[in-house]
Amino acid sequence: MTLIRRIPRQHLVAGIVLLALILYPVINPWQPYPQGVLLIAFLLAIQASGWNIISGYAGYISLGHSMFLGLGSYTAAIIALHTGVNPLWVAPLGGVTAVVVAVVFGSVVLRTRGHAFVIITIALLLSAQIVATNWDGLTNGSDGITLELPFWSSDFQNIPFYYAFLILLVLAVLFSAWIARTKFGTGLIAIREDEGKAASIGVNTTVFKIMAYGASSFFIGVAGGVYAYYQTFLNPVGSFAILGSVLIVLSALVGGRGTLYGPVLGAFIVSLINEAATVYGGSTQSRVLILGLILVAVVLFLPAGLLPTFIGMYRRRHPVETEYTDQEGALKSAAIVRDRLPSSPVSSAPLLEVRGVTKRFGGLTAVDNADLTVERGSITALIGPNGSGKTTLFNLITGNMQADSGTITFNGKRIEKLAPWTRGHLGLGRTFQVTRLFKDMTVLQNVVAPLPDGRLRTMLADAVSGHEAARARELLGIVGLARFADQKAGDLSYGQQKLVELAQVLMLSPELILLDEPAGGVNPSLLGRLTGVIRELNQAGVSFLVVEHNIPLVLDLCDPVHVFARGSCIASGPPGQIREDPVVLDAYLGDDWRPQDAHA
Amino acid sequence: MIEKSVSRRSVLAASLAAALSVSLAACGSRPSEKAASETDKPLVIGISLPLTGDFSQPGTEAKRGYEVWADQINKAGGLLGRQVQLKIVDDASNQDTVVSDYTKLITQDKVDLVLGTFSSLLNYAASAVAEKNRMVFVEPAGGAPNMFTRNFKYLFFAQPATAPHQADVFVEWIQSLPADQRPKTAAYPIQDDPFAAPVIESMKKQLEAIGVQTVYTETYPADTTNFQSVAQQMAAKKPDLIAQGAVFEDGVGLIRSLKQLQYSPKIMFQTSAPSNAGQYSDGVGVGSTEGVFYTVSWHQDAKTEKNAEFVADYKAKFSNADPAEDAADAYAAAEVLEAGVAAVGAIDQTKIADWLHANQVTTILGPLSWEATGEPKGKFLLGQWQSGKAQVVAPAEAATTQTVVNPKPDWK
Amino acid sequence: MAQFVQALALGVLIGGIYALMASGLTLIFGVLRIVNIAQGAFLILVATFTWWLWRATGLDPILASVVTAPLMFGLGWLMHRFVISRIRGQAASMSVLLTFGIALVIEGVLNIVTGNRFRSATPSYFEESFRVGDILLPKAQVYGFLAAMVVLGGLYLVLTRTWTGRAIRATSQNPSAAALVGIGATATAALAFALGSASAGVGGSILSVLYPFFPASHYDWISRLLGIVVLGGMGSLPGALCGALILGLAETLTATYGSLQWSTLVFYLVIMVVLLARPQGLFGARLREDAV
Repeated sequence: MTLIRRIPRQHLVAGIVLLALILYPVINPWQPYPQGVLLIAFLLAIQASGWNIISGYAGYISLGHSMFLGLGSYTAAIIALHTGVNPLWVAPLGGVTAVVVAVVFGSVVLRTRGHAFVIITIALLLSAQIVATNWDGLTNGSDGITLELPFWSSDFQNIPFYYAFLILLVLAVLFSAWIARTKFGTGLIAIREDEGKAASIGVNTTVFKIMAYGASSFFIGVAGGVYAYYQTFLNPVGSFAILGSVLIVLSALVGGRGTLYGPVLGAFIVSLINEAATVYGGSTQSRVLILGLILVAVVLFLPAGLLPTFIGMYRRRHPVETEYTDQEGALKSAAIVRDRLPSSPVSSAPLLEVRGVTKRFGGLTAVDNADLTVERGSITALIGPNGSGKTTLFNLITGNMQADSGTITFNGKRIEKLAPWTRGHLGLGRTFQVTRLFKDMTVLQNVVAPLPDGRLRTMLADAVSGHEAARARELLGIVGLARFADQKAGDLSYGQQKLVELAQVLMLSPELILLDEPAGGVNPSLLGRLTGVIRELNQAGVSFLVVEHNIPLVLDLCDPVHVFARGSCIASGPPGQIREDPVVLDAYLGDDWRPQDAHA
Repeated sequence: MIEKSVSRRSVLAASLAAALSVSLAACGSRPSEKAASETDKPLVIGISLPLTGDFSQPGTEAKRGYEVWADQINKAGGLLGRQVQLKIVDDASNQDTVVSDYTKLITQDKVDLVLGTFSSLLNYAASAVAEKNRMVFVEPAGGAPNMFTRNFKYLFFAQPATAPHQADVFVEWIQSLPADQRPKTAAYPIQDDPFAAPVIESMKKQLEAIGVQTVYTETYPADTTNFQSVAQQMAAKKPDLIAQGAVFEDGVGLIRSLKQLQYSPKIMFQTSAPSNAGQYSDGVGVGSTEGVFYTVSWHQDAKTEKNAEFVADYKAKFSNADPAEDAADAYAAAEVLEAGVAAVGAIDQTKIADWLHANQVTTILGPLSWEATGEPKGKFLLGQWQSGKAQVVAPAEAATTQTVVNPKPDWK
Repeated sequence: MAQFVQALALGVLIGGIYALMASGLTLIFGVLRIVNIAQGAFLILVATFTWWLWRATGLDPILASVVTAPLMFGLGWLMHRFVISRIRGQAASMSVLLTFGIALVIEGVLNIVTGNRFRSATPSYFEESFRVGDILLPKAQVYGFLAAMVVLGGLYLVLTRTWTGRAIRATSQNPSAAALVGIGATATAALAFALGSASAGVGGSILSVLYPFFPASHYDWISRLLGIVVLGGMGSLPGALCGALILGLAETLTATYGSLQWSTLVFYLVIMVVLLARPQGLFGARLREDAV
């Protein structure tokens, strides 16, 4: 009993339901009709679980996902037709076709962000229909393909299909659960929450999205092969119907997209309602209307879906005790940081060199032919009035924007054309002026998410337990937030979020960290921790480039200091020299600041 | 939190799941065991129809046709002395649902007989369920050629001919014309549709064999809305005959475009579209229907057995509406099943199928008989719009008028 | 040669009408960042209403846009006020699902009210043509094209010459800056949605004469319009015009010289290629906020 007690409740419920579903045909084999209804529910659940990977985890809505079912059906049916092999045995090839199509078209569409993807998924579905209709030689055109009746006794007519779909459903859910546990899965959720931020912590968003699209299609394609044999007939209109996609989306939404069991729950609800409407609904023309109303109602009133809403209600009734920052515990384990830092060859060349970089927005030149050098092992400051182009320069260095001209060299390597994640992999990390944590993820997930390199092994590493999670916990310990690991990041205070963001960057094992106003909105005692961590890391060999308006902090912490005005550097030097420089006083500090304030 | 312990809720869930599986496990019998049904209970015929969704129009008409038949037979004392009860369910034009409907009707509700549904797309899936369960399946629609390549033993198509033979009657009419009146050139715009395309393709082959030169062939996709380019290309070739494989809106669309380009062929033939009486004349304008040919399985004024009775009862039952072809096809399908059951004298699916394979059945569509595959051996009627009304002009024994409008007058 | 000019002329006429239909979609996207999947259903709704009006009163279907445009303006405003605005601040994908749901609701209502059958309005001129040399220009197409151009021109003037229009354009370029200079985001969004709906009011009326339609036709139309807008660049009015002309010409030219069967696919392929080379579409501008 104690063993059962330790299984999370939702897995326990899922297990019991699964057991009932496995036993059902054994208890009563002679009921093809309820078996038929259930197997269609399994099929929808397989599709919704797949959809959930790209659209739930990664947040890229696909409105044409039923295409993969059609592709799988056609693959199995065409092979069966030309070779005489039973479609069941070649159903896995349907999955292969689905993945190939997803990856090929995904790599065109998913290079971009945002809305184009949704639209292209519809276009792809319709294109698949056109191809299936017109490629007569392969697909029999609009006549469709008829297949043999199943070879087994009609007494068992639906049972083999029942188990085939049930097994595929279990595999699809396990696959989805596995993805959610890996850094790949964490990266997908990061993309959903904030794609730009994800790119800056080493998540190769393009590859992640394409892989997610491919992964979302595989089991649907396999199920398609089985489905073709179940139907014994397929044609372009039926195989690539948009209403099939509507049901998938509806299922995942009703159950709760982005959760493991939500799409499955939703699929069962939707297909059972659908069948009930057929049996009890009489002959009204209202099915489309009802589907539409449910979709509108779910989006407006239950956007998170049933499962998350239930869990949310449960959590409100059983609140977890909140804890406060463990400021004492912080900094005790700075050594851990040192272990993982890259051991770069000792070199006297500057770590970062920006030469003649320019960035224009329309008529405005935000960065104008700017030069900047960060020496190895330094804590370099970048100060200047608002709008002088400091943050834009950060964006150019980290790759969140592309420069119009000029070169950026990091560690002897030209990086101005590289993607943000590649720069991250090279050892360039950053924080943001306004923190950009993934607010719906836990603190631990936030810190696990970054990828220090682009290898597949790293991507598929376990993010929930094991080495990566342990390291993330250590880093949280360094910033004093270990006890918040399972809290939602959005629930933390602003200052705490700044510290989490720093821990996140450390996960990249960076050589250079760009801090955009690290002190903004942080209370004095936390600020002390922050500067302590920065100094500690710096001693361990990490270099910093800091944009900051807290001049006393800058003058205290940094050397050298660069002053930016109107898009380029107007003065550089040690803090003492900058403090006295009349040009700086004139251009930036103006009347509001006098040198003596620094000592205040 | 979630991982706390097994508490009331999961126990509840477990007992729910157990209750569910027990209730679903209500005892049953092997699908192959047919219930002994020789009782006084009504004879139940199970039918799934697309009453909603894409095919809701023909589906609703088919329902009416079946109902008229059931009313008539019950008034006459029933079938095998038992009252007939129709169990009609909606499949929303969806293939999954039609499969689950027929599975439920046959294995759960244990209906005595089934009748077919509408459109080939649904009948493909539905007939497979019936075949698996060895139930005679008379379908009122579903003439796509692939239907009959599967060697089903219980499948019967209750229309006079499949798609590739629909236009035979038109070709015969052309052959009957004096050589100098026959069209010299022909254009064939064809919708890529499993029912329309084979009609025109087979017509084209037959006409080429008797010397009609093909000057234009184009297959256009089902969602084509813009027919000006097609019309324009055909007008440039000035064909004597335009034979279009049309479904509906494309038939209307092409005629509108031909009118805009002011080209009127001597002979105009379209599949399907012109048989949708009111909608068609609304779409192209009544004046422009004059002389348009089409083929059809049934006509309201045809002098076939029981046809007048069917039309009268239909009008009486449905507020004086004119029956559609689809309703008549459904009625004929029921007549076929009725004949088989009556001849065998019992509900024995195999014997009924054997009898239907061996005999001819008289229906309101005329006499029907079948190949071993369930493919019918008859002929369609050749229809033509004359003075705003659809008439049958061939074959002679079914014609509703002796005049044939030829050549077609200009568009009006 | 005549055949080519004829095809060209027809392509331009059709493209102009497509442009009007797509303009609402792109306008709504520009201001609200919402892909209004219901735009196709709006067209069919209006077409059905126009057909009914024409049947009942004999009002010319294209002229009926004088009635349908204000009605759709009101309906769009109400829809934004009571439905669309409720999901502000949520993930953009939710708006796609919401408008998709609205499209299904409209389709369902039309199914119940009008039945699942084809309709088309046939005023006296629908089968007549103007003859220019060897070229025949169908009157319905010409009238529809003229109406579309008048509305598009009007829309352009509203957007460039009036304060309201500038507010809409400002909001579409930089919502936070627009808010800073005192442009109410909600009011502007409502206005843009209403204007976008009104353009579907005119487009739907024209559609009722030119193409047979039934409740589920909206899928065909929305995929066509989305293609145009993606091609031209989401949110760009000149882009929509350009994409629409490309589609119109592609349709007539492939029909004349190639095979109709593949013409839709060719169009989608063009979109793919454009996206590969220029992810933001032909006319799409990369804005400052687009920086990741």
